[in-house]
Amino acid sequence: MICVTGASSVALGPHDPKTLEPTEFLRAKKTRKFMGTQDDLAVISAGRALAQAGLGAERLAERAGLFAVVGYIPFNREDIDPVLTESLEGERFSMQRFSSGGFQQAHPLLTFRCLPNMPAFHVSANFDLQGPYFVSYPGAGQVYAALEEAVSSLNDESIDVAVLVAVAHQRNFLVEHHFGRITPPVAAAELWDAGACLVLERADFARARGAKLRAELLGMQQHYEPHDALTQEFAGNETLSGVARPPGERGPALLFTALAEAVGGSAAALELVHRVQTRDHVSAQSRWRVLS
Amino acid sequence: MKRQRVAITAMGVVAPNGCGVPEFLDALLRGRSGIRQVTLFDPAALPTRIAGQVQALLPAPLPDRKIGFALAAAREAFAQAQACGTAPSGRGGLSLGVGLELFSMDDLAAQRAGQSPPSSPVERLSFMQTPSDLCAHFLSEAHGLMLPPLLHVSACAAGSDALGSGFRRVRDGRADFMLVGGTDSMINPLGMAGFAALNATSTRNAEPERASRPFERSRDGFVLGEGAGMLLLERWEAALARGATPLGELVGYGNSLDAHGISEPHPEARGASQAMARALADAGLLPTDISAINAHGTATPKNDPIETLAIHRVFGQHAKKMPISATKSLIGHLISAAGAVEAVAALSCMNAGFVHPTINLDQPDSTCDLDYVPHHARRHRQAYVLSSSYGFGGHNAAIVLRGQEAALAAG
Repeated sequence: MICVTGASSVALGPHDPKTLEPTEFLRAKKTRKFMGTQDDLAVISAGRALAQAGLGAERLAERAGLFAVVGYIPFNREDIDPVLTESLEGERFSMQRFSSGGFQQAHPLLTFRCLPNMPAFHVSANFDLQGPYFVSYPGAGQVYAALEEAVSSLNDESIDVAVLVAVAHQRNFLVEHHFGRITPPVAAAELWDAGACLVLERADFARARGAKLRAELLGMQQHYEPHDALTQEFAGNETLSGVARPPGERGPALLFTALAEAVGGSAAALELVHRVQTRDHVSAQSRWRVLS
Repeated sequence: MKRQRVAITAMGVVAPNGCGVPEFLDALLRGRSGIRQVTLFDPAALPTRIAGQVQALLPAPLPDRKIGFALAAAREAFAQAQACGTAPSGRGGLSLGVGLELFSMDDLAAQRAGQSPPSSPVERLSFMQTPSDLCAHFLSEAHGLMLPPLLHVSACAAGSDALGSGFRRVRDGRADFMLVGGTDSMINPLGMAGFAALNATSTRNAEPERASRPFERSRDGFVLGEGAGMLLLERWEAALARGATPLGELVGYGNSLDAHGISEPHPEARGASQAMARALADAGLLPTDISAINAHGTATPKNDPIETLAIHRVFGQHAKKMPISATKSLIGHLISAAGAVEAVAALSCMNAGFVHPTINLDQPDSTCDLDYVPHHARRHRQAYVLSSSYGFGGHNAAIVLRGQEAALAAG
């Protein structure tokens, strides 16, 4: 049996501050300058979830794996605008101007703040996760891929602890642009910055170390329909039963967020069912028993 | 759970020095570099103006080079897989290492100028930012892959991770066959400039073919490359039953996190060592069983000595007895595609009875003291080859391949 021993979520909606402060979780404060919003979301949610699970570095290291899903790449407008301004010839992009000056306007740390594997780096470095990993791309479909990889690694006992992280920095001009052009579009005001983390363990391992079991994974399944990605546009939908749906479009973080809220606020046991049909024709479902 | 043997029954490749496995293999064994002056755009004022650029024009449903590369490599692999008159059947899936979303400065300028975004799906999906996951859907549709695709974005380790996770799905019985590989192109203004800003790339612009110098004393950074590698994995018994002749076998995979530095590897090579050791353990092999290594070999000042140290730590005295080739000396660094293309290189060379050279290795660095096969290919019989990939952010992956002769001899 695979169980949840820690869960946490963090989110910023349209009226929330722009930034988060993860410093309390950083082993080396100098790494702060390398962090973008999705890194902040990942580190804060992982730090809180691991604390709830009662797991410190002595239990992690080589026996802990990291399974991370990130949102679309969120270059910040304020980072890109100076590059573009210095690269224009009239209203058109000029390669000559870009080469001779535009690219020098890019912040030297720009790459670090946007790469999709950086949340995994910051979580691994700050919580000393040295085990196997899976780092994947946007969408609830990939959340299930990460969940499958984590469960497989726990069941074959190559790890004792699986840290699953889902983050998306969506209050971002590129991401807003993406969601505004797909069919049907998602309004920018609906897009939240969201991160959530689950700590999974085999129930026997968790019990042996005296951990509180907060939820159990009862089952999961996935299905995929290969399709013409250019013509078969599909709205997709994502539902939760047993708990209220958190507000806003949370990207890949919805399932873990719902679990985090359920394990943190439930006085009685309940069954949580998550169903998703993604825009890219993945349908998946998981059932969880949240323990009292 | 009974573990299945995992056959590699087909391969496809698009690389800077050759499209298609026969052309690529020929280039590898002849030591023919694919590094040239960049012609995809005018890089005149950038510090680095060279790259491993694919010369072939490959059609793609979107103006994103890595999609065309992936589709071409997959077509080659499936054509080879079906050469025996049958196709792999059952639950098939895709495991793909994929690069960053394509970000267009032209489109950004158009948006700033107030121009309306285009209305057709094709144009809309390539305007500003082309989601990289589209590539997976094109591949899955083209080849009827019915399992949810796995997308890997573990930077320079993504290609090897894609092979490894696909391998585990077939071995554990979660899939009957998997198309596994990686595709990438960062030879665009932002990609080239971004790496140049980090001082990560070679500026040996006057001699492109001599610029990628893994393990060499005068190395000055990596050379960016582009391309795709695809391999078809099937259950061994199923492959034989349908009349396919395996090209080899994937027998082990391990990955690890450095949990150390954002751009520098662990000083004691902890993560790299762990990944290789886990791959060996996963394969049930001893270090002395490995006949050769296909190194990550980026030619960056920091990486090459640490990779050498990791090989010493894992292989002990056997380290100096193995030939070690760096494919990046010939094609540059293909980032998310690197591990997959290098697996194609390793297996095709193994089956040809050679190790390919590490070109441009005139004087090895004093910290790099292994046999890196300088300049010329070498005849070398190999049963098992380990191929490794180490990514920015401390992602480390290694796979172990068994060559055709050894795999078939095992029954």
